[in-house]
Amino acid sequence: MTDTKISTPVTAASESREKGYWARVAQDGQKMGFWFVLPALLLLLFIVVFPLLMQLYLSITWWTPLEGIAWYRAWEVFNWGENYWFLLTDSRLWGALWRTVIIMAVAVPIQFFLGMSLAYLFIDKFPGRKIFYSIMLTPMMIVPAVVGLMFFLLFQGTGPVNDHLGLPAEFSWLTDVNRAMISVIIADIWQWTPLMFLILLAGMLGVPSDQLLAARLLGGSNWQNFIKIVLPRMKTVIAIALVLRSVECFKIFDLIFIMTKGGPGVQTETISLFLYKQTFGELEWAYVAAIGLTILFVLSVIAAKGLSYMAKKNG
Amino acid sequence: MSSIQITNVTKKFGDFTAVSNLSLDIQEGEFVALLGPSGCGKTTTMNMIAGLEEPTDGSILFDGQDLSGVKIQDRNIGFVFQNYAIFTHLSVYKNLSYGLEVKKVEKSEIERRVRAMADRMSISHRLDQPASSLSVNEMQKLAIGRSAIVEPRIFLLDEPLSNLDAGFRAYMRAELKVLQHEFGQTMIYVTHDQIEAMSLADKIAIINEGKLMQYGSPLDIYNNPNNRFVANFVGSPRMNLIDGELREERGSLKLMVHGGAEIPLSGQVRSHFNTDGRVHSGSFGIRPQDIYFGARRAEDDIEMHGVVEVLERVGPKRLAYLQVLETMFLAIDDQDQLSVGDEVPFYLPPAKSLAFDLASGRRLGGIN
Repeated sequence: MTDTKISTPVTAASESREKGYWARVAQDGQKMGFWFVLPALLLLLFIVVFPLLMQLYLSITWWTPLEGIAWYRAWEVFNWGENYWFLLTDSRLWGALWRTVIIMAVAVPIQFFLGMSLAYLFIDKFPGRKIFYSIMLTPMMIVPAVVGLMFFLLFQGTGPVNDHLGLPAEFSWLTDVNRAMISVIIADIWQWTPLMFLILLAGMLGVPSDQLLAARLLGGSNWQNFIKIVLPRMKTVIAIALVLRSVECFKIFDLIFIMTKGGPGVQTETISLFLYKQTFGELEWAYVAAIGLTILFVLSVIAAKGLSYMAKKNG
Repeated sequence: MSSIQITNVTKKFGDFTAVSNLSLDIQEGEFVALLGPSGCGKTTTMNMIAGLEEPTDGSILFDGQDLSGVKIQDRNIGFVFQNYAIFTHLSVYKNLSYGLEVKKVEKSEIERRVRAMADRMSISHRLDQPASSLSVNEMQKLAIGRSAIVEPRIFLLDEPLSNLDAGFRAYMRAELKVLQHEFGQTMIYVTHDQIEAMSLADKIAIINEGKLMQYGSPLDIYNNPNNRFVANFVGSPRMNLIDGELREERGSLKLMVHGGAEIPLSGQVRSHFNTDGRVHSGSFGIRPQDIYFGARRAEDDIEMHGVVEVLERVGPKRLAYLQVLETMFLAIDDQDQLSVGDEVPFYLPPAKSLAFDLASGRRLGGIN
């Protein structure tokens, strides 16, 4: 590299012009780099950009696998983006979205509150702390489908829940218009409170204990110290826990799929379940492509806004 | 402001006894240092006074009142942590106002007191800045100010100067003394640095292995150590403590040191050691500054001969390491009269020498 810099540029250029393109590439680090990166770039293009374009292409047609034509001939059923128009007025889609938000808005705050309270109980050492800690974390280790099955059995008309509460077998949970949703939310809370607990406990243990002690010695009650010392120091951890659980909750699928299949009717149908049913039930692939792209677009806008807000806040 | 009576306090952690049967009487407004090597139980003692630890046995009374069972937040005890425990997520102002805010003091009153305290600790110009931006020295001031602002009944300081640089430590030592007078506070100060304790405290409690070794004024402790541990721990440079066997030969008493050196005992120190043959091995103590060179000054001064091994300059004086066979004596050469390699006579005045029983460490004989 130093060699090329020492030789005068005029002679170097004229020499390489004589040698042809590849000789010039060999002397130019940036050009050479481009050729080395190119295969990876093409691969990436193939696995990311190609499906995206394919999706975009399908989303503006009527194409379904039952159409009898190959997907690349979908232009034959071109529909001028009517799918996008349709999704704006699809009450089932909006209903599913609304229910997803409801689950998120109910389950996540409860998980947060329970997780925080439990974490607070676990900062001080007490006999059996390690055992309780392990027991506490078990629910989140279980495969969600199994949790779904567990709660499916628990909430049967003749199941343990009704038995315990002294309710008749006719008192149904999973097939009742209102209680189905409650059952699903309870199952989600049961499974994911431990994760909230784990993250919040880690954050709480990160608060320097001598600062807490200093606050107590200054006369602050436990509650005052919690509000003024512990919570502010946990800001980042709390944000991470809430975002993580909200995102996960937005994707909720397996639990509901096992417990209610989205029923009764569409009472517990979330966005993931709706998409699943559209894809494998109705085989409306073009429509699903349109919905997927729309969600991607909306989330990208939200993420970009959020990032720029955070960047501004952090100066 | 409170007085504190600690009576027969013991603290055990499982099988380990951190503090054993410790009694201390601290008067109102006194500045008391708890001094001892690390792990001696001084911090545990302080934590028990603060209420952070419950004594296994014994009682701690504040103005005659037992506070066990009273919550930490209701004890009104000022505590300065070794690492200051500053609330780094809050501003300097909020740190100072914390103790007042949680007690729901009126806003204007808080403002007035915070400003006054910030002025007093000369951190006014930092009030609106985040506490995390302070230097270590300023954090130290903030930590003291934050505790002092609530006017606690007593003030506990856990090695508050150990993180500071040397210059600021000396300044802060003087500052603490001034503050103590200003606040008129009962202060308890934990340290392993005997110089700090000697220069600051009205009284020093020397603790070793969980036991109180001696409790008294700095001068008292320096001049009349109760036992070998205290004699060894207090004073800079350290006291010479020569251990050996006591032997009576033809009417004279000698301390035979391992390696062959012997100290012929005379005068007061001889009578201290001479406890009817009950003590067989003893420790002879003398401070370096009490050893002298040149002409003998008194009839019964003990004469020794040693070789000057090392001379170490400390300010205008030099520390002389004198080798007598395998035994090293530390003396002070304040007239630059020695040179390395010299074999010189030196004298140990018996009136300034101390006698200890080697087995128990107990001081022998009366006070000089």
